[in-house]
Amino acid sequence: MLQLEGLVLGTGAKPFDLQCPPASLTVVLGRNLSGKSALCRVIAGLDSPAAGRVLVDGLDQAEVPLRQRPVAMVYQAFVNYPHWTVAQNIASPLRARGTDQQTMRRHVEAIAESVGLQPFLGRLPEQLSGGQQQRLAIARALAKDARVLVMDEPFVNLDYKLRETLREELVELVRARNICVVYTTSDPAEALALGDQLVLVAAQGPLQAGDPMHLYRAPASIAAADLLSEPGINRLEDAGVVYAVRPEHVDLEAPDAENRALTMTVQDTQTNGSQTYVYGVVQGQEWVARLEGLRQLQAGEHRTLYVRDADLLALPG
Amino acid sequence: MRSSRLAPWILGGYCLYLLLPLYWLLSMALRRNEDIVGRFEIVPAAPTLANFAEIFSNPVWYQGFANSLTYVALNTLISMAVAIPAAYAFSRYRFLGDRQLFFWLLTNRMAPPAVFLLPFFQLYSSIGLFDTPLAVALAHCLFTVPLAVWILEGFMSSVPRTVDEMARLDGHRFGFFFFRIFLPIIRGGLGVTVFFCFMFSWVELLLARTLTGSETKPIAVVMTRTVSASGLDWGVLAAAGVLTVIPGALVVWFVRRSLVRGFALGRV
Repeated sequence: MLQLEGLVLGTGAKPFDLQCPPASLTVVLGRNLSGKSALCRVIAGLDSPAAGRVLVDGLDQAEVPLRQRPVAMVYQAFVNYPHWTVAQNIASPLRARGTDQQTMRRHVEAIAESVGLQPFLGRLPEQLSGGQQQRLAIARALAKDARVLVMDEPFVNLDYKLRETLREELVELVRARNICVVYTTSDPAEALALGDQLVLVAAQGPLQAGDPMHLYRAPASIAAADLLSEPGINRLEDAGVVYAVRPEHVDLEAPDAENRALTMTVQDTQTNGSQTYVYGVVQGQEWVARLEGLRQLQAGEHRTLYVRDADLLALPG
Repeated sequence: MRSSRLAPWILGGYCLYLLLPLYWLLSMALRRNEDIVGRFEIVPAAPTLANFAEIFSNPVWYQGFANSLTYVALNTLISMAVAIPAAYAFSRYRFLGDRQLFFWLLTNRMAPPAVFLLPFFQLYSSIGLFDTPLAVALAHCLFTVPLAVWILEGFMSSVPRTVDEMARLDGHRFGFFFFRIFLPIIRGGLGVTVFFCFMFSWVELLLARTLTGSETKPIAVVMTRTVSASGLDWGVLAAAGVLTVIPGALVVWFVRRSLVRGFALGRV
């Protein structure tokens, strides 16, 4: 069990209060420079917090030397020891603990098998693909047999397909090993798919934490809604109240009469084939609409958009 | 198209220009004095190993080699022992005046060795270091240590700091990390640095000559003092020259791959 108590990363930031039970995945979602890596480093013990405590199984980690903390970490860049083979890399934490050769070999083989690296035990990290190198980093972290595994955007440097595969594998590994994982990402889809618990962070500290689906349905602020929306959230001002409108709730046709009509000056459209993103200006605000299918809209064109009143989120800030 | 036909000739000419003096040295080393002075031969007509035999049997000659190798090895050892921790500090820690200090190290290289002749001579004489291999080794350190720190810092900074952190998180002690993880990763850089320390010390003549007397005369000095009553001993001198080139060539051979990396880092 990992607990963060009143953990403050920088002066003036809001504190983190968080509990991560074993065999769970806590996803930290935030944009670049929102302090995700700083949070990871503090949990791992590489940096000290400005205030607050990190507890693992009830023990304040400030009193535990870094080398003995039950925390392992996987970086965004694939960090491995370049002059050691895959087997030696995985064995590294075991070797630091003084494990005997036989036990070490058994452990290394079991871990290599669980991450699919068994055929490559004799290779050097540079002879592996990017995905395999990150698997190796995860394998080494697992070999430490830590209570907490911190992963700082671990799959962001990998291609899309591989990312999905590794994500699925990761969930299985976490469940099987009863460890508590803190996983940071800037991708809302990943956060919603992966997390048992979701924490939204911004530069000034945590925005909101809780069940991912709950956060998606009931964001506490516009900033929180914006983080969970890909592309970003739209803002609509009406009678002094700012409403948030999700891009997927904007439509070109009005199925019923209750819909609110808005005029957009189209600036750009982008499509991935199954969906089309229309960028433009509504009432002086930058808007984006996500439409199903392939749509053709001209830049400079004025189009009427429809939004249901029920989809307007009245949120503070 | 014409240029491509010309290219081998230019290249060949250049190689000839580089290799001819070396070849001539070798060819002289294999001839007797009478042949060297008496006739012009491209290939020695009557090759002999007598000149080399003279060097390996005459203590003045082989002592010269031994003296040189002693202070060169000492210098390389001291330089590495001092420069490795220093370069690690420059690469990994921020401290007051670190940049200025790093730059100052480099400026040491701007002074010609001759500047330090007199102070070294007086200082070493007064504390009894004069005419010892350690005297020359220490004097050379003034030049090789900054160079070594400069080269090593480049190699060390090319290893991401996350490797240091990773090792600590894995539970390794600093000593284990430094000697079993960090230094093996930059072993190429270590090779390059050893090479440069070695070469500087091996070819430096001025300090080596001034700080040594009869006891520890380096090979280069022995070579300049071979004029005897019977004239110049051309053949033996050439043989000594050949033997002087060999250690350098050997070191280059061992570090040739790392040398390329060092050049790529722009530190060499």
